[in-house]
Amino acid sequence: MTNIVVLVKQVPDTYSERKLSESDHTLDRESADAVIDEINERSVEEALKIKEAGEGEVTVLCVGPDRATDAIRKALSMGADKAIHVSDESLHGSDMLATAKVLAAAIGKVEGVDLVIAGNEASDGRGGAVPAMLAELLGLPQLTHVRQLTVEGGSVKADRETEEGITHLEANLPAIVSVTEKINEPRYPSFKGIMAAKKKPVETLTVADLGVDSGEVGLGNAWSTVLEASPKPPRTAGERVEDDGDGGTKVAEYLVAQKLI
Amino acid sequence: MTSFTESEERLALRKAVGELARGYGHEYYQEKARGGGHTTELWDEAGRLGYLGVAVPEEYGGGGAGIGDLAAVCEEFCAAGTPMLLMVVSPAICATVIARFGTDEQKRRWLPGFADGSVRMAFGITEPDAGSNSHRITTTAKRDGGDWILNGRKVFISGVDEADAVLIVGRTEDARTGRLKPALYIVPTDAPGFEYQRIPMDLVSADNQFSLFLDDVRLPGDALVGSEDAAIAQLFAGLNPERIMGASFSVGIARYALDKGVAYAKERSVFGAPIGSHQGLAHPLAQVKIELELAKLMTQKAASLYDGGDDFGAGEAANMAKYAGAEVAIRAVDQAVQVHGGNGLASEYGLGTLLGAVRVGRIAPVSREMVLNFVAQHSLGLPKSY
Repeated sequence: MTNIVVLVKQVPDTYSERKLSESDHTLDRESADAVIDEINERSVEEALKIKEAGEGEVTVLCVGPDRATDAIRKALSMGADKAIHVSDESLHGSDMLATAKVLAAAIGKVEGVDLVIAGNEASDGRGGAVPAMLAELLGLPQLTHVRQLTVEGGSVKADRETEEGITHLEANLPAIVSVTEKINEPRYPSFKGIMAAKKKPVETLTVADLGVDSGEVGLGNAWSTVLEASPKPPRTAGERVEDDGDGGTKVAEYLVAQKLI
Repeated sequence: MTSFTESEERLALRKAVGELARGYGHEYYQEKARGGGHTTELWDEAGRLGYLGVAVPEEYGGGGAGIGDLAAVCEEFCAAGTPMLLMVVSPAICATVIARFGTDEQKRRWLPGFADGSVRMAFGITEPDAGSNSHRITTTAKRDGGDWILNGRKVFISGVDEADAVLIVGRTEDARTGRLKPALYIVPTDAPGFEYQRIPMDLVSADNQFSLFLDDVRLPGDALVGSEDAAIAQLFAGLNPERIMGASFSVGIARYALDKGVAYAKERSVFGAPIGSHQGLAHPLAQVKIELELAKLMTQKAASLYDGGDDFGAGEAANMAKYAGAEVAIRAVDQAVQVHGGNGLASEYGLGTLLGAVRVGRIAPVSREMVLNFVAQHSLGLPKSY
């Protein structure tokens, strides 16, 4: 029986226009459609595969505002068993450190956790540090940037892929894993999964419920501050190359100049 | 109707179906349609996920939901550019008729397959000499001991080459009065004496149309659906879902075309501004949007009435929804093509083939004129015209 916690984040849809709010430079949640981060669909998929290969229970853990229930519901409709939703106004603007502390406290609420699966980075913040911070806070081994994962008895084996190459990792459970987009193809929720999702237990907790000091979370307590933000300049027209029979060479020269080849 | 918003589950279902369908995409559909293939992979995957069996009773492995949910699935496939015509007949008409009127044995035999999409069943009602007049159906079933012998012809039957069986509307002699009365039979497509021929159509579709020839087709006694006297109720039970699905099919295609038209109007810039800023293009798109929402609302009403058990009330709404859906689909495709200019007819933009496809909705499953007759006579109380 593998007891798995999957971290799930709701993010603005990458297809919509993503903005920071003008008042405090935090994410403007109203300006974009909110979806479960795609990497987390893969995290859930991996947890479900481990569960289906043997025995297990999959708990979804999400820190986010009320409407993050949609992301939780999606994970439950894919087949996760239950969820913990940490929702608290005081978390608005929290940095990665605060988020990791809250997650660590919430994981502590789940009895006998064997494995925590996260995405390697969220598509909005793109910090990519939360899994490692969490491992540090919980004193657990971290296997990050994983593209292949196997659980065998009391240990976990993983292939970690970075720009430097592939590292074969092995650790004892409990452990923390972060997965990349190569890990799997997530399933679509079945109709039965969709219907069952509403009946699955979702425990909603506040920062106080977790025993986390509210002086450690939120925008005011973040270790970094955004002083200024400006929108990305509109894309300029690309370079136009006339093909006089040497189009291929010109394209290659352009790519070399951009250090792409 | 108690609410004008759909349940959380139906919205999640729509989203899931849309994601699956867009994963295949319109290019997949076009490739199949132009190459004479079928959307088998998409159908099978949708079936395994339970999307095709949402309305099949739970005890037979289905989703236990209603026609409203099935119609939402159909609409989402169309909106993603991957219309599946067989959804209108196989899970909507055939599964419904068998679930509501079939014998226990027929339910056990067929419903689990409808639930997971592994069974495909076509529906055969239209005849060359009867057209819209289902009282003039000449396909006849005669008793021969415990068996039935069927003879007759059918035209414009969809997807027979993909189907395991066809639900055939025929007539049989009433034992007491000797008069012919309708009866529905499940005819396996490999039954001896049963032949089908593809009708060449000027449509780009992944599902084909067929003529059927039934020549002394011998069927076992249990090929008759339910009891001999229930056919009229069966037809009512099956044809309302067909109209609701027809409406959803059209509404979905209208959404697909409108999305394309709007996206192009935003992005295409000719006289220094996106062409969508010109009211000559913006207003017709806005009108399509309004008519689309109205057609969708009427479709939801019809489904809600049907799922609530009001077959008669659903009939009027289903006819109106089918009419409105077909009209807005024609208008949406026409306008989307117009917005695209020459590109609207270029294969790459995935619109041109819909010009013909949406005309089907004005003709089938019942013609625009027959819907108007129905409304004139039944809704307005005008004298019967035919």
